[in-house]
Amino acid sequence: MKASLRQKIINLIAPIYPMAKRWLYHFHGGVFPKYNKSLSLRQPLRTGYIPKQLILPLQQHMGGAALPCVEIGEQVKKFQMIAQAAKGLSAPVHAPASGKIVAIEQRILPHASGLAEPCIVIEPDAKQDTVENALGIVEKPKNIAEFKQLLLNAGIVGMGGAGFPTFAKLPDHPGKIKHLIINGAECEPFITCDDLLMQTHAPEIVRAALFMADLFDVENVICGIETNKPQAIAAMRQACQATRVRVEEVATVYPMGGQKQLTQELVGLEIPSGLHSIDIGVVMMNVATLRAITQALELGQPLVSRFVTVSGMGLKQPFNIDALLGTPFNELVELAQPEPKLDYPLLMGGPMMGFAVAHNDVPVIKTTNCILANPPETSDEPMACIRCGECAEACPVNLLPQQLYWHARAHEYDKTEQLNLFDCIECGCCSFVCPSHIPLVQYYRHAKAEVREIKQQAKLTEIAKQRYDAREARLERDKQEREAKLAAKKAAVKKQANEAPKTEKPAADAPKLSAREKAIQAAKARQTAAKNLNPEDPKSTKNSSTESSKSEMSAEEKRKAAMAAAKARAVAKKSSPEEPNNTKDSGTELPKPETSVEDKRKAAMEAAKAKAAARKAQQETNP
Amino acid sequence: MTMLAGILIFLGLALVFGLLLGYAAVRFKVEGDPLADIIDQKLPQTQCGQCGYPGCRPYAEALAKGEAEVNLCIPGGEPTMIEIAEILKVEPKPMEAEATEPKPKMVAVIDEDICIGCVLCIKACPVDAIVGTTKMMHTVIEKECTGCELCVPVCPVDCIDMVMEKPSLTNWKWPEPKVAAERSE
Repeated sequence: MKASLRQKIINLIAPIYPMAKRWLYHFHGGVFPKYNKSLSLRQPLRTGYIPKQLILPLQQHMGGAALPCVEIGEQVKKFQMIAQAAKGLSAPVHAPASGKIVAIEQRILPHASGLAEPCIVIEPDAKQDTVENALGIVEKPKNIAEFKQLLLNAGIVGMGGAGFPTFAKLPDHPGKIKHLIINGAECEPFITCDDLLMQTHAPEIVRAALFMADLFDVENVICGIETNKPQAIAAMRQACQATRVRVEEVATVYPMGGQKQLTQELVGLEIPSGLHSIDIGVVMMNVATLRAITQALELGQPLVSRFVTVSGMGLKQPFNIDALLGTPFNELVELAQPEPKLDYPLLMGGPMMGFAVAHNDVPVIKTTNCILANPPETSDEPMACIRCGECAEACPVNLLPQQLYWHARAHEYDKTEQLNLFDCIECGCCSFVCPSHIPLVQYYRHAKAEVREIKQQAKLTEIAKQRYDAREARLERDKQEREAKLAAKKAAVKKQANEAPKTEKPAADAPKLSAREKAIQAAKARQTAAKNLNPEDPKSTKNSSTESSKSEMSAEEKRKAAMAAAKARAVAKKSSPEEPNNTKDSGTELPKPETSVEDKRKAAMEAAKAKAAARKAQQETNP
Repeated sequence: MTMLAGILIFLGLALVFGLLLGYAAVRFKVEGDPLADIIDQKLPQTQCGQCGYPGCRPYAEALAKGEAEVNLCIPGGEPTMIEIAEILKVEPKPMEAEATEPKPKMVAVIDEDICIGCVLCIKACPVDAIVGTTKMMHTVIEKECTGCELCVPVCPVDCIDMVMEKPSLTNWKWPEPKVAAERSE
């Protein structure tokens, strides 16, 4: 009652001050676009449309592409698995209708890139053969592991738009989830598929939520629905009667349906930067995902169809349809009577976060919630930023869009990262409010891709460096090993050469002898070698003998020289008999001045001769 | 007396801080050449040798010593040259005409029908990204290939081609919005 009074007051102020509506909810920013939701709610839900061809991309989800397990020309039944999940994060693909596989080829995907990727193409037949209980459900899964396996087998992914395989976001143990939030906010303009789903299948949604709540031991199960869906709220309230699921009305504001925003609104918790919602005990499930879970649990049906809104200003009869996955966009749009002719690209998703597809015959995939046919308007040329700050006011995650824009434009990607670029949810509020029509969110998407690439590159660079260093180290090691081996070999060869004459001679005349004799010879040779080796190393003996002979020779020479010197001394003595101070031991002593000049000279000459001879002899002995 | 006290105090302080600095110089000594490390991190690590040095690290070391020009890294292109010039605080030098843009990522692909198994490319690869053995077919580990092109000239049968990475959902990037339409401020 109090809340509604508050709402009334705000509604009174809103015409004068539109931003008063921001007082109605708890997160920052947010915008109030024209919703145009009534367009597609005028028509009843269409069902049972089978197109001429079903195009099933192998990658309709985040993670690895599925692997085809059928062949061209094969007849498949409805619900039959046609591509199995790859290892890790992936999801299988099932046939949405019975028919023949006509091709497995590259087709353009409903993806912003417009790239062609492998798809399985089925031509449906009229027989509608069905595999009953394709998932083989006997009883409901008793534990979490079984439940997650079932989700994987059923190919269930987040159907709100992200396409994250559902099994992968659930914890392995009970008690980890405190709050299970059923997301029925559906905040994007034009889209009404979740609204209609809640109106028509509320009990199924609630059953899946209750099953999960019991399995994971969840305390708090809340369903958040925007106030602009009164019928859905009524239907869900009715389905939740006497259960522990609470249905909460939340303010109608874009992007209320964002995971971070709805969590903050319903349980008052903010998901910290860089963490997942499960880290704070919150798991959010889209209503369409929950319904798919119920179908898998109760009927054993894998995910083969989904509610799609076909709407837009260019359609006379917009509608919602329970479309088979793989139905081409343009066939669905033709059903809604396009006016003018469909010669412009369709959008997948809403006007805020959707993107133009590369070709209008792309198929509905698990994440297609809306096909939008808005004839192109004369788009306003982007103008210079006037720094008005509207974008910062509107940002639901409290970033600084203007700063991010400057840095992204200047390619200063490290700075955009510092400004928490990766917390941006790409909701497009900033672009929506920008008076200069700057495509801000496109800058952020590009900047995110660049930052990721730079990081990836850095990782590769690091690996390349490691591999280069490892290679250098290996080459160096190889070189050293080779050198060491070579040196060892050289030494071995030398040694062998020394031993060769003793050990190898007997072997040389061996050939004619018998093996036994050879053995005897070898033994003998060994013995002789051992004998030779025994007293002294052959090398050392040889060396010492040469050494000694050399020294012998030199000794002889020395003796000769000494003799010559003695002779000389004797001669010198003879020639100077009167010499009083006889030279006792040295021939180098000069004769004294008392001797006659003649004798002196003679003696000196003789002495010099002797000296020279002695020196010569000495030189020869000590080279 | 007071003057003497002052002088003594300051002498004491000078001694204390001198010791402190001396200790810090020993205790926190930086091993190796930090400048070369910083430059090495900026280089693309293709190990292609197009700069005339046998790899990225030797080029970084030469740059740190001031022995090399800043504009030799061809795979890095102009952005790398500017980064190096900024680190070294020197004037940027223009690149060779064909190398102003950083090269798009290429990988070597061996035509396995033609390959004769001569192991020449295996010896040339600086990051061991080619596997094979004598007289057996060789192949490039795409993930490890740095696109240095060193294996291309050594192949005696010219069976190695450099190819661009195929665009796929995993490497697709949102394009940058066109700035041209905006009035420049």
